[in-house]
Amino acid sequence: MMPTFKKILFNLFAWSIVLAVAFPLFWMLVTSVKPGFELFRRPPTILPETWTLEHYWKLLSETNFLIYFRNSIILSTATTLVVVAVATLGAFSLVRFKYRGRESLAFLVLFTYLLPSVVLIIPLYLLMVGLGLSNTIFSLVIAYTTFALPYALWLLRSFMAGIPEDLESAALCDGATRMGAFRDVILPQLLPGIISTALFTFILSWNEYLYALVLVNSDASRPLTTGVMNMLISSFNIEWSLLMAASVMMSVPLIIVFAFLQSYLTRGFGAGGVKG
Amino acid sequence: MAEVVFSNVQKKFGTFTAVHGLDLNINEGEFVSLLGPSGCGKTTTLRMLAGLEFPSSGDIRIGSRVVNDLAPGERDIAMVFQSYALYPHMTVGDNMAYPLKKRGVKKAEREAAVAKTAELLQLTPLLSRKPRQLSGGQQQRVALGRALVRDPQVFLLDEPLSNLDAKLRGYMRVELVELHRRLGRTMVYVTHDQLEAMTMSDRIAVMEGGKLQQFAPPAEVYAEPANRFVASFIGTPGMTLMDGDLTRQDGCWTFSAPGLSLPVGPLKDIAQPGPACFGVRPEHVRIGEGPVSGLVQVVEKTGHENIVIIGLEGGQRLTGRVPAPQSWTIGESVRLSFDTDFAHIFAAGTHGERLNLTQAPRSANHLNLTTVKTETQS
Repeated sequence: MMPTFKKILFNLFAWSIVLAVAFPLFWMLVTSVKPGFELFRRPPTILPETWTLEHYWKLLSETNFLIYFRNSIILSTATTLVVVAVATLGAFSLVRFKYRGRESLAFLVLFTYLLPSVVLIIPLYLLMVGLGLSNTIFSLVIAYTTFALPYALWLLRSFMAGIPEDLESAALCDGATRMGAFRDVILPQLLPGIISTALFTFILSWNEYLYALVLVNSDASRPLTTGVMNMLISSFNIEWSLLMAASVMMSVPLIIVFAFLQSYLTRGFGAGGVKG
Repeated sequence: MAEVVFSNVQKKFGTFTAVHGLDLNINEGEFVSLLGPSGCGKTTTLRMLAGLEFPSSGDIRIGSRVVNDLAPGERDIAMVFQSYALYPHMTVGDNMAYPLKKRGVKKAEREAAVAKTAELLQLTPLLSRKPRQLSGGQQQRVALGRALVRDPQVFLLDEPLSNLDAKLRGYMRVELVELHRRLGRTMVYVTHDQLEAMTMSDRIAVMEGGKLQQFAPPAEVYAEPANRFVASFIGTPGMTLMDGDLTRQDGCWTFSAPGLSLPVGPLKDIAQPGPACFGVRPEHVRIGEGPVSGLVQVVEKTGHENIVIIGLEGGQRLTGRVPAPQSWTIGESVRLSFDTDFAHIFAAGTHGERLNLTQAPRSANHLNLTTVKTETQS
């Protein structure tokens, strides 16, 4: 009896947590397909009486949503590419090369990650203005790289350390150059690490708000996070239906990517936690 | 096929010296084992030969070329690693073809060479499998195949059998010797297993503490160990080593230890009266009759023979070896004698040099020894 009771209790507990996490997402989805007049009805309807996609259509045809979406895609992809490329080579150097101060350098890199991002916003903004990059997507790519790279470097360092050194030595003896061994042998082994690092960086860039708010204030360069907020939330009014529709569309790419690659992501966190 | 020469090669890692001034001449087509305990510098030596480590000073020559500054791929060597180091994402066939691919060999030639080597090592049915789908023995053969496929000048093998079970290890030892005989290539083999070194090598380089202790054929290393370390390291069960004193009277040397006093043969000029060490292998201890007495402390039965550990009157312990039917019970009092022609005298210290002037004889000359009572016993 006791184990069954315990089981039921655990299940109830687990499902209540799932419900608490999933309900806002469910409500976001439901609100985005409710007609405007049904939004504020009391008591509220759990499922809409009338289903509509008018908010989606309005968002796509009458607002800058697609521009912001494109900006976010460019921004997140570019950041991911830069971070993965630099972090992979950096991790290779930190793990495989022997030079003075290698460990100190690795910790120094992590130290930058420990700084609160707010501290760096003003210096970065001034830097971007000085470089003539303010108000560009590129400035955000650089900014995001500064805080995504340290973590990515450490994550990939853990993965790299797990690849036997003998594999690279064998490739060198087999006639490969150092870069050849890296490309032929190390990279394929590192693929799960690269994928999880890429996912982490992409999600971070896609969801980032603070830097985007400070560094970019033109519609041509705004990503989705600040663009949607700026467009739909004002001091006097919040366009709830459009906001929810935008939120759904913002979440879709991440959900798709995550659904296919989530095993890599969890493996990545495991590697970071255990070996790092 | 090429000779390999180390000339005064030193390797330092920071302040730690892993290899001290190594001089080693490995002949063309020779099978040489680098043998020693963990941390003796044997793997570092092999890695320097492979080009995976660079010497801090000295020269390494393969054939007529000094290879100090050459990358591993330019040295015309092939290496088999202890972990096999098979590329997990490639099939067996791709693993074996990789060294050829890196050297720009055309696909058709690559495939032919892989097929030929696979045939030699009975790997043909496994060519399309991934390494993780193979047993340890099969993985080991693939690693060998990847080294063989290119026909390099020198083969380097870094403890390639240590991950195999005892039976397979025995089988692969024979296979490797056969392979070496067939290919006639120079092979340098690193191992900490003296049985592998003794059974496979033309010559053994015994290393310890980064220094070469002895470089000689297996029989010589066994019968005439250069120093006390080699004597203690080679042989299972190990040589009995007893500390005592050397004295010289009328040109004749005598070794004395508590409970023992025995005349020893002619010694080298460097021999000095004073502390020294007497060594005798288990098979040269005759148990049953003789002037020395002791108590049986341990009997290890291995099936075909029994290892008997005997405590002597003076507190020393020695190990004897007798054929299986003979055995003694623990606590039994026994008499002993030694084949003194096969006994050794070493200078004092853990690396004391072997002082015997003569070479160990081919046949046993059984001599009984006199014993004297120690002062405490008298």
